[in-house]
Amino acid sequence: MKTKAGFLIVGFLLSVVVASAHHAFNAEFDGSKVMSWVGTVTKVEWTNPHARFYIDVKDASGAVTNWNFEMGSPVQLRRQGWTRDSLKVGDQITVDGYPAKDGAKMASAKKVILADGHSVFSETPTDAQPADSNHQ
Amino acid sequence: MRYKPGIISFVSFGKIAICTLLAACFAFPQSNGGSITGKVTDQDGAAVSGISIQAKDTSTGTIYKATSSGSGDYKFDALAAGSYQVSLPTLVVGAPPQNVVVQVGQALHLDLRARDASLNTLGEDRSFFAARVAPHPTPKGPAPRTPEGRPDLSGTWWAPRIVAREEVSVLPWAAAVIREWAANNAKDIPSARCLPSGVALLHYFGLNKLVQTPTLLVNIGEADVASSRQVFLDGRGHPKDMDPTWRGHSVGKWEGDTLIVDTNGFNGKSWIADTIPAVFPYTDKLHLTTRLRRPDLGHLEMEVTFDDPGTFTKSWTMKTVSDLAEGEEVQEIICTENNQDVEHLVGK
Repeated sequence: MKTKAGFLIVGFLLSVVVASAHHAFNAEFDGSKVMSWVGTVTKVEWTNPHARFYIDVKDASGAVTNWNFEMGSPVQLRRQGWTRDSLKVGDQITVDGYPAKDGAKMASAKKVILADGHSVFSETPTDAQPADSNHQ
Repeated sequence: MRYKPGIISFVSFGKIAICTLLAACFAFPQSNGGSITGKVTDQDGAAVSGISIQAKDTSTGTIYKATSSGSGDYKFDALAAGSYQVSLPTLVVGAPPQNVVVQVGQALHLDLRARDASLNTLGEDRSFFAARVAPHPTPKGPAPRTPEGRPDLSGTWWAPRIVAREEVSVLPWAAAVIREWAANNAKDIPSARCLPSGVALLHYFGLNKLVQTPTLLVNIGEADVASSRQVFLDGRGHPKDMDPTWRGHSVGKWEGDTLIVDTNGFNGKSWIADTIPAVFPYTDKLHLTTRLRRPDLGHLEMEVTFDDPGTFTKSWTMKTVSDLAEGEEVQEIICTENNQDVEHLVGK
């Protein structure tokens, strides 16, 4: 709203954006589009500002693409009980997440489920079914 | 605060629940008080657990609080008949309040959909953000004192939570900048490039470790950018002709049990992100007056007055409370070690 002098009274004007400690989620990822990937973990980076893991995803023709997934910082993950060994190279996983807006093979990870149905980074197993796979 | 998380079974009422298009279902319970129950899900339909739900009686202003269970269910019971506004107060976007009317003895079913994917990253999900701003258990007792009889502010503290903030009035150029930031998804926030975001003495996101001596208060901040602040308590003033800096120059003096810190010499290059989700630009005229108090062992109060005639039409004040983080230590965060986001940030 504006005062008579034309100055803007500001409330929560930037509410669309800044939730991450590091950068605005909406600047990098498409929050309207949840996708699911199935693959094998090839690397885990327990680094700042975001811990990352990478998986090889095979499409119907057998071609393999490597995808890069972002999580919170190791400091945050550690305080919530996860460790750098929670996810290991070679794990077969399903990832639900939000893809990068610029088309890069990157995404923000929302949920990670092992082949036996256990949810990684979660204390209780879940039988939640992933969304339909959508390889690119 | 009145709440009982749980599920109401409509079968127990022996009646058929009729749902409107707005997913509000009415049934007829046995008790005289009304109730509102439902489930909180995120935009993808998954249950959201541990989130705060608020029901405000719009005629009396009384606020009732509940917390969603592991399955996302929540319940307000024994509500007086009347109009209520039900909302998810800790979410910053995409969960508009729902207005409902509870009649005497009525059980109202209201599902809430949170539409904010930005609070859905592993390690940075809704429960993380809710826990960060929620009060933590703290030890009881009086604030420790120094040999000189001053309160000792030393300790490791959880991030400050805002308990009050005055309305902020900005000049037109600043309003235009804020609109530009919003339109561009805040892609240029300095922390995305591992530069300081925020100007207040206690960093708004991670832990703050205060170390107090008679002549110096040091804050070791756990932030995306390694953040240490010095507050000189030895009676000195600000240097003349300072080179402006990201965090300014701070001097402090005690008035009774309150430490009053004066900070000047800002370079105007960061964002005032201490008030997230509201963020503001500022100029090199920014001057902060910070009042720190430790009213008891477990709490640190910070009151910051922001004064910048180059940005704001009047000064404004924010009050925060930080809880003692017993058993915690500030961890190392070297933001530049693997910052892959910058080249993928997209504006409008």
